[in-house]
Amino acid sequence: MSLRQVFESHPERRYIMFGGKGGLGKTTLSATCAYWLARQGKRVLLFSVDPQASLSDIFQKDIFGKGAVPIIDNLWAQEIDADKRIQDYQNEIRQKILDMYGFDKVPEEIDSYIASASAEPAMEESAIFDAVVDIIVKGDYDYYIYDLVPLGHALYYLSMAKVYDEWINKITKLREEMGQYDRVAATLRREEKVEEDKILEELQYIKNRINTSSRILTDKQRAAFFFVLVPEEMIILDTRKAAELFARFDVPISGYVVNRVLPQELRAGNIPTYLKNRINMQEKYLGDIRSSLGNQVLAYVPEMERDITGLPMIERLADRLFQ
Amino acid sequence: MAEQDKPKKGGIFQVFKDIVYGMSSHEMTRHAVRSRASMEHLFILITMGDLLGVPILPPYYSLRLLPYVTPQISTWKRRMLRERDITDTLG
Repeated sequence: MSLRQVFESHPERRYIMFGGKGGLGKTTLSATCAYWLARQGKRVLLFSVDPQASLSDIFQKDIFGKGAVPIIDNLWAQEIDADKRIQDYQNEIRQKILDMYGFDKVPEEIDSYIASASAEPAMEESAIFDAVVDIIVKGDYDYYIYDLVPLGHALYYLSMAKVYDEWINKITKLREEMGQYDRVAATLRREEKVEEDKILEELQYIKNRINTSSRILTDKQRAAFFFVLVPEEMIILDTRKAAELFARFDVPISGYVVNRVLPQELRAGNIPTYLKNRINMQEKYLGDIRSSLGNQVLAYVPEMERDITGLPMIERLADRLFQ
Repeated sequence: MAEQDKPKKGGIFQVFKDIVYGMSSHEMTRHAVRSRASMEHLFILITMGDLLGVPILPPYYSLRLLPYVTPQISTWKRRMLRERDITDTLG
């Protein structure tokens, strides 16, 4: 099967993700894929959840934190500015406290808590995760392609979602029990009304957000996850490990793309030993990939003569990838 | 208390009701309210634990709950951090 056939035979798969170690060409492949789908007349949003996003570089256009920026007809690209999102969110919380209690300023203790919470390493990931839910829930596009952060982070997202979900279930139960005590006290006092529990509502909201985000990653019908690898020993081993982990988290893997394959035509010419050795090495590992992954490999992408930036290069690569 | 400002209704019957309440269910109410209060503290501990240096809830989401527990934060901290002594077991 080719990459093209996968898209044509599974039009219901609308959340497209490319995963793999850093620097293997995830951004290049997601951009190429997005470009091709947009050319097929689909409305595509390509977005990056990587704090060091490189969509701006590949499209040679500053799109960081600017929302969905149109690139060509039917194609929009977006880089989420996690820092700004966290800041806005903090301000929202501060404003809510001021409004709820009619304070002139947020009490110092509370304010320093808000400030220190954003320094937590998990803060950025959660903020990005939350932003992704916002984008997808809106449903403005046919395809959502995300340029996933390196594997470790992606797995962390998934495991986080599971832990949070269980955790919130427990808290929600405690909160419900608390509500029962409230009702008992109210009945004994012959009070008519029990204040509705706003916290319980918030907890349910949080649970729902976390569930939605992990569902997006693990939705077997609508999600397609592609691994990017290159013909090198370390990368092959890492990819195999990662694939096992992903399987454990129920992420549906749709196939593999082998990137940076040195063109065979080079062999014909008079080439330096260095290059010859590289080609031989790749040959060996390509053999390993063929025997272990076989027809799960959807494309072998050639190493281009220059880096892929700008639309003309993306177009060239798309033509080769989806021929 | 605000309730004393309200015109009394029911007269002697209300007084009788209050006495019965005091004799029978006051203790139970107190118990329910106290249990509720300890649970409130437990709840804040598990959601806002990082105020005491115990990170439990992902901070992004614990911030959403912060406005609702703002008034309790200082009494809660006092309760969690104070030293325990023999009088705690009384009452």
